[in-house]
Amino acid sequence: MKHILQQVFRSGKFVTGFSIFMAIILIVVFYPMIITDAPLSIIGQGTFFPPGIYVSVYDSLSSTTYILNLDDATTKRITNKLNDEDRVSIKEWLVAAGIPESEIDTTDTQKLLDQWFTNYDSQKNVPGMTNAKRNYYVRLNTALKSLLSPEAAAVMQVNPLNNELEQIGTINQTDYVNVGEVANIRILPLGTDNFGRDVLTELVSATRVSLQIGFVAGIIATLIGLTLGLLAGYIGGFVDDIITFITNLFIVIPPFVLLILISFSIGQEQRGAFTIAVVIGFTSWVWTARAVRSQVISLRNRDHVNLSKLSGHSIVHIILNDILPYILSYVIMAFILQISSGILAEAGLSILGLGPRTTDVPTLGLMMNWAMIYQAHILGNWWAYMPVLVTIALITFSMNLMNTGMDQIFNPALRD
Amino acid sequence: MLKGYLKYFLNKLGWFALTFVFAFLLNFILPRLMPGDPVAAIVSRFAQGMSNTSGVQAIYEQYTELFGTNKPMTEQFFIYLKNVARGDFGFSFSQYPRTVADVIKSSIWWTIALQFPAIIVGWLIGNTLGALAAYLKGGFDKVLMPISLFVSNFPTFGMAVIFMVVFGVNLKWFPTSGGYGFDLIPNFSWNFIQSVIVHYQLPFWSIVVIAIGGQAIGMRSMSIYELNADYVKYSRFMGIKDRKIVGYVFRNAMLPQVTGLALSIGTMVGGALVAEIVFSYPGLGTTLLRAVLGQDYPLISAVTLIITVMALFANFIIEILYGFIDPRIKATQSD
Amino acid sequence: MANTMLEVKDLSTKYVTRFNEGVYAVDRVSLKVEEGKSLGIAGESGCGKSTLALSLMGYYFPPLHYMNGDITINGNNISGLKAEDVRKTILGKEVAYIPQAAMNALNPTRKIIHFIEDVILEHEMYVTKKDIYGRAKKLFETLGLPPEVLQKYPVELSGGMKQRTVIAISVMLLPKVLIADEPSSALDVTSQKMVIKMLKHLMEAGFISSMIFITHELPLLYNVVDDIMVMYAGQIVEKGSSHEMVFDPIHPYSKGLMGSIIVPEKGLRDVKLTAIPGVPPNLKKPPAGCRFAERCRFVRPECRVTDVAMREAEHGRMYRCIIPEAELREAYAREEHKNG
Ligand SMILES: Nc1ncnc2c1ncn2[C@@H]1O[C@H](COP(=O)(O)OP(=O)(O)OP(=O)(O)O)[C@@H](O)[C@H]1O
Ligand SMILES: [Mg+2]
Repeated sequence: MKHILQQVFRSGKFVTGFSIFMAIILIVVFYPMIITDAPLSIIGQGTFFPPGIYVSVYDSLSSTTYILNLDDATTKRITNKLNDEDRVSIKEWLVAAGIPESEIDTTDTQKLLDQWFTNYDSQKNVPGMTNAKRNYYVRLNTALKSLLSPEAAAVMQVNPLNNELEQIGTINQTDYVNVGEVANIRILPLGTDNFGRDVLTELVSATRVSLQIGFVAGIIATLIGLTLGLLAGYIGGFVDDIITFITNLFIVIPPFVLLILISFSIGQEQRGAFTIAVVIGFTSWVWTARAVRSQVISLRNRDHVNLSKLSGHSIVHIILNDILPYILSYVIMAFILQISSGILAEAGLSILGLGPRTTDVPTLGLMMNWAMIYQAHILGNWWAYMPVLVTIALITFSMNLMNTGMDQIFNPALRD
Repeated sequence: MLKGYLKYFLNKLGWFALTFVFAFLLNFILPRLMPGDPVAAIVSRFAQGMSNTSGVQAIYEQYTELFGTNKPMTEQFFIYLKNVARGDFGFSFSQYPRTVADVIKSSIWWTIALQFPAIIVGWLIGNTLGALAAYLKGGFDKVLMPISLFVSNFPTFGMAVIFMVVFGVNLKWFPTSGGYGFDLIPNFSWNFIQSVIVHYQLPFWSIVVIAIGGQAIGMRSMSIYELNADYVKYSRFMGIKDRKIVGYVFRNAMLPQVTGLALSIGTMVGGALVAEIVFSYPGLGTTLLRAVLGQDYPLISAVTLIITVMALFANFIIEILYGFIDPRIKATQSD
Repeated sequence: MANTMLEVKDLSTKYVTRFNEGVYAVDRVSLKVEEGKSLGIAGESGCGKSTLALSLMGYYFPPLHYMNGDITINGNNISGLKAEDVRKTILGKEVAYIPQAAMNALNPTRKIIHFIEDVILEHEMYVTKKDIYGRAKKLFETLGLPPEVLQKYPVELSGGMKQRTVIAISVMLLPKVLIADEPSSALDVTSQKMVIKMLKHLMEAGFISSMIFITHELPLLYNVVDDIMVMYAGQIVEKGSSHEMVFDPIHPYSKGLMGSIIVPEKGLRDVKLTAIPGVPPNLKKPPAGCRFAERCRFVRPECRVTDVAMREAEHGRMYRCIIPEAELREAYAREEHKNG
């Protein structure tokens, strides 16, 4: 046993896969100890806040202000405000106002602004311009002007005594607060999802649940497959015929179809993550049964098994001592495969809307489902689905690497 | 020889028929294992979103009759059997008053035209690449194999999303959803056909790429295994040229890949259905999603039955073809 | 004097593993087989017998690589030939090979006759498939194989039949030298007998002019071949006539090897050549000096210093040991005396 482990850990592929997998497990275990928020609590009002550091505006106002005179502050401010569409619109106006197109560079903010302020005239009518567009230019002009003007913004508050608005302070363009002194800051490394939940926290929790689903499904599938495979292979004859028949049936009937039918029959209310795992387990044992059966058949007439039979050992004894140890590596590989395919099956089901009910725990499939329903992929909100996909891929990839590594150790014929 | 093949064919045919009966039974029994009156449960679930009470009543009555829920199981089975044999799956809940048969008729061809070519093309490319990797070794193998390994571990829907984001949303080379332009009506105009072709690309290639990954890996290890086989060494030392030996090897490596395809077609179809959903492709996958969202039991049941039959049929065809290309089948069956 | 069919001088070959290490499995081997004679090669598993068999044909492909040495087949030195020429003019025609695992030596998806066609068409230009069929049928009949076999796939044949078919295919082009690598070891007793009978018949009937027979079953070797060579760790350690080698070995390794089978009893015919304590050296880094030193009971300090050359003994026998023949014989006699 120790020897085998040593051998396995000498395979580079296995070690790589194992390291990735352990890293995932460690994150899943330790992250909730550090960030104790409930994974499904809704913190954001609105959908898909991009990843970043969120600083409370209110708390910033009451923090100490520091004055910093930075040369490029204005340019940066405007660059940040002017998006690509605005730039194109400005260009359009300038072209209409007679500036040669070659002289306009939408990427050079400073020059573009200079051209704008020298040429813009709200009275001037550009042919073919709609009213809406005209108003847009007026608004744009005011916005740009106010950014450039050194005037301060006023901070107002309702006085509770007389219900009147009173100015309590001003904010200058040169005012800064130290982020460290602001009472409320929230880092959302992966932003929020469509419901306004912290994607990272949700993802970690979903990974844990999906792994659990995979493990439960894998254990069930492996146990069923192993039992049937052992029975069919060792006893043979009629038992073998029956089991082989059933196995072959379930191989050609798409397992996904069975999953759909069963999940639907169970009904949304009854579908917890555990139930789904059990259902997946019950529909994915076929490959294991098949593989185990053929292994056992090739084993059952070996000398050591015959010897054991002659010495009058019971079937159970023979299976446990003379057969199981020889197919253990296969069974473990099949188990690993079942885990990753269980995770994928859950994801597929959830995308169809037949996954675990959506109220208690997130799963990788559910997160994917939510992101798709809310069109995150079309809206460009990559943080809502990309991390999920990467996590799924990392899990399955790491498991497959472990398997390939073991395969090379145990099946030297394939070694290359 | 021919007798051997006939025996093989009949054997497979019998097997196919049996499997079909079994799949049909499952399709019948599974939903009936639900506790309580299935029709009531179905209709009440469905009725939550329906304001037209007379419609609900009509559906309820129709389903009680269609299912024959007040009759014993065996009788119910024969009613179901009779209805299905006539192609009568009743009305669709979610798309009432369309019938289930009608809904399926308008989506099944999309699925067939998408999935089977994609799986076959993926299989062909994957096997060619895998064989080349095994034969050429070196750099080609070192680049191709990790990529294939990674790709084959990707869920099909994941590949679909990535293709869509990269080629649809960002590069805008292809439209991101639907089977044809939403402003078009299906007909045989050039305009429409062009739209169909353009919409076809992303779903097609995402299924293909996934299939390539898995097949390439399988074919590579099969080929390596065969390249090290004893007959290769013997043939070499009998002076047979390498080109011919490579021919032997790839033929032999490919044969298990064919049966592998037959066996995994069920799994592949499942993955491809979910890929359809990502692209809102008007095939069975999307229909299934809508049926689930609309709690449309009759539609779900019919779609799953059709998918099963399609997978069985594909499996059967592959096995039949396999009988032709693997000479051992004809040879060993005849005595 | 009879024609020399195969002569090898100082042939060395190596395997290069995928980690780029060399396995020096054949080290400066020289041998000679004359027309009408057969040579047996014996040795422990892993000593390089199969590698030697492959190396003798002058056709190398990875992981096996040629290092140096000359191979002369029927008077033609083939060491300088291009691989493509060796393939076309030598393989199958001048020298043929029966692999160790002949059970799997045939492409499972090709009919026997089609494989024979492939082989013959590589070497002869103007033959028709009909001619080939006629020739194959005649050969199979002469060798006592049912001609129906030609139309079958390998899976349809029993193990013994497969083995005999492979042998028949190998001699299709009447090679001068036949190299048989454990042609009978995987078979049941009846098939083994048939295979051996067939090989003897091939020599007698002139299908082949000479034979090299590799096995680790010494009693078999004694019955089949004229001369025996013993190999140890990639080198030849002794050669002589089969009678002398079995009943009067000189080299301590041969002595140990033969000691276990002097009386070829029934139960002993499967004894593997592991009766000598210890394990052979790693061929990746062969030790300096005598390779057998580690396991030799007569070992002296000089043994480990320089390479030991082959020495000549009476009747043209050769052995690789620094201890003179006479001294070794004395030692053996003393041991025998002590053991009673
Ligand atoms: N393809 C290979 N690559 C690297 N080393 C090899 C290869 N084939 C054989 N060897 C090594 O070369 C040495 C000689 O092997 P060979 O097969 O010639 O032995 P053998 O005497 O025929 O053994 P056996 O009686 O088991 O057939 C062994 O140490 C073996 O490990
Ligand atoms: Mg050997």
